[in-house]
Amino acid sequence: MDRRIPLTIVLVLGILMLLQFFIPSRASETFFTDIFVRWGLLLYIFALIPSVGSLIRHHWRKVGARREGWAYSIVTLIGLFVMILVGFLDREHVLAKVKAAGLFRTLFLNVQVPMQASMFGILAFYMASASYRAFRARTLEATLLLVAAFIVMFGVIPFGAYVWDKIPFISEWLLEVPNMAAKRGIRFGVGLGIAATSLKIILGIERSWMGGGGK
Amino acid sequence: MFSTNVWTWIAALLTLAIFSFLYRDNPFYRFAEHLFVGISAGYGVIIYWYNNMVPNLINPLLNFGHAWPHVSKVWLDGLVIIPGLLGLLFFFMFSKKYSYLILLPLSVILGMENGLSVPTYLQAEVIKQAQGTLQGIHTPFIAGQTFFMVNGLIVLVGVIGTLSYFFFSREHKGVLGVSSKVGIWFIMLGFGASFGYTVMARLSLLIGRVQFLLTDWIHLIK
Amino acid sequence: MIWLLKLFKIDRRILFLLIAAAVIIPLVRPLGLPTAVTPHAQHLFDAVDRIPPRTKPVLLSMDYGPNVMPELQPMSMAVVRHCLARKIPIIVMTLDPNGVGLAEDALHRAALEYPDVKEGVDYALAGFKVGGYLVMISIGQDFQTTFPTDAAGHPSKEVPILTNIKNYDDIALVITIAGSAIVENWIVFAVTRYHATLCAGITAVSSADYYPFLQTGQLTGLLAGMKGGAEYEQLLANNDLSHAPKRASQGMDAISSAHILIIIFIILGNIGYFLGRRKKA
Repeated sequence: MDRRIPLTIVLVLGILMLLQFFIPSRASETFFTDIFVRWGLLLYIFALIPSVGSLIRHHWRKVGARREGWAYSIVTLIGLFVMILVGFLDREHVLAKVKAAGLFRTLFLNVQVPMQASMFGILAFYMASASYRAFRARTLEATLLLVAAFIVMFGVIPFGAYVWDKIPFISEWLLEVPNMAAKRGIRFGVGLGIAATSLKIILGIERSWMGGGGK
Repeated sequence: MFSTNVWTWIAALLTLAIFSFLYRDNPFYRFAEHLFVGISAGYGVIIYWYNNMVPNLINPLLNFGHAWPHVSKVWLDGLVIIPGLLGLLFFFMFSKKYSYLILLPLSVILGMENGLSVPTYLQAEVIKQAQGTLQGIHTPFIAGQTFFMVNGLIVLVGVIGTLSYFFFSREHKGVLGVSSKVGIWFIMLGFGASFGYTVMARLSLLIGRVQFLLTDWIHLIK
Repeated sequence: MIWLLKLFKIDRRILFLLIAAAVIIPLVRPLGLPTAVTPHAQHLFDAVDRIPPRTKPVLLSMDYGPNVMPELQPMSMAVVRHCLARKIPIIVMTLDPNGVGLAEDALHRAALEYPDVKEGVDYALAGFKVGGYLVMISIGQDFQTTFPTDAAGHPSKEVPILTNIKNYDDIALVITIAGSAIVENWIVFAVTRYHATLCAGITAVSSADYYPFLQTGQLTGLLAGMKGGAEYEQLLANNDLSHAPKRASQGMDAISSAHILIIIFIILGNIGYFLGRRKKA
């Protein structure tokens, strides 16, 4: 496929969407809502295909080739297909939503939730270990970072107010003044960067999203 | 003392299997990790299907089909076949010969996303933030609130300093050197504040799991 | 001070045990320290509280999954309880597929606490929509096209709480409880383009980043992490709106002791480092 086709689509749609922001006419709004926004939402649904498809392909090949850890890949594939099967067979409970708790929601709440929450829960231990081993006040800047961290850490806990009643006020001031100033400066950069990158993609200057596809 | 619900036991054992990684990598952890990947992907597929595919694609097409040939009021429903067919092109990513076809739906998504982003991000993250910086000085000045006006001036100095720190087109010497030095101090204070909050965030995630184990599984706390 | 230098090389699993103890002990033996309410949490509470009952609904977007559930689920529960107690209609949606199960669970638990509330009238689960920013734009253009049915498959036109919603003008307040940068998208698209009134509950990791939006008024109120949840629970209790167990407040005691332990770790680590440098010199 000629690379100019997707680049032209990006250019035309990008300019249309950009201009639509400034055109309040009813026809423009209807065209925008009923066609583009609605179609865009549908395209995003299909974006799940690459991720799930890649997952199945990776683990299927691993099992087929009997690579190291292939038995665990069977667990992944069983989990995936069981969940899909339960979801389709237990349709009534999946759709009944709030009041009924069928097998589908039970599996979610008692299998997926504990594991996903625990995986992030163990980060607390690594953070504590890293604080002990790596957080050093080697320079003035690092010391400023440490001092700010201590103030906020004391400020958020009830105990901080018991130690000194001004700590919550100082912590809040730190967040609302110097922290906000720095984050605002970063936000300027982010906003300008996103606008610049978006324009580069629309104009076809930035083409990394195309990979090696097309002629 | 312990729960008698089998699902609570399953949840607790899976939690402990994940935590066992803290000691070292082991088969229980790897089993739980792989099970999680499969279950969460399967869950996602069902949710996508019932919450998006059915109400936004399948039902409108069925609607159009039922109304045929009197489709004047539901013609927009029929048009969804176009993104539907475009979306199916994503399946070609698994073909070596035709994988380039996924560029078509991708280009539609990217064109829309980038076109919509330009004016809105500029307005929200540049214009509005610049407005806020100056209003932070002007409003308390008018109201005679010296403390807040000084805060506003500090914010202005910090914003200019931060911006000058990230300006790499010139060497940081002279006036730019001084302002970028001030900027890095503000950035360190900001990152320190973020780190302080991050400590609380990570601990919260651990506390949540411990609360589950001690409340729902062992019934040690209410 | 040789022992201090040896302490620096301590096995990290001992540090893990100390952290576990710092978390478990205050949960089993609570200190009961009260949580001070920050102005931003108060603003969020007030923004919900001043909505007249049985008028325009609150749109609560639970944009997170189980990975940040301990921080954000107490906030979501507190907002839902507030709305149900004050008879403010609440529509719950999510932009994260994993948020559907958590939203179902939150509504299910809250509905049990307020038996006189009715699904479809006082609350509704609109469900998950993929597309992030596009969903926000779509709601601003036409809510009925975005959510043609609720999560249970009932046509929105037949659900009393959803039937009159055209766009953000028919919604009193949008609250996003999020574990990612999606809050930025809400600000950029819903607030900037459609002038929606937005409040946010965010994980503590990102909350410091959103102070610029609080100052400009793009965000009306902010809850930060587990502390934010604890503050909202405190406000509900102070105003006699809920007597449910305060999960986030319970956790604050554990956070207090763990924070102090980590500060001690950092100080000890730095002492060990400077002593080591002096020894080498």
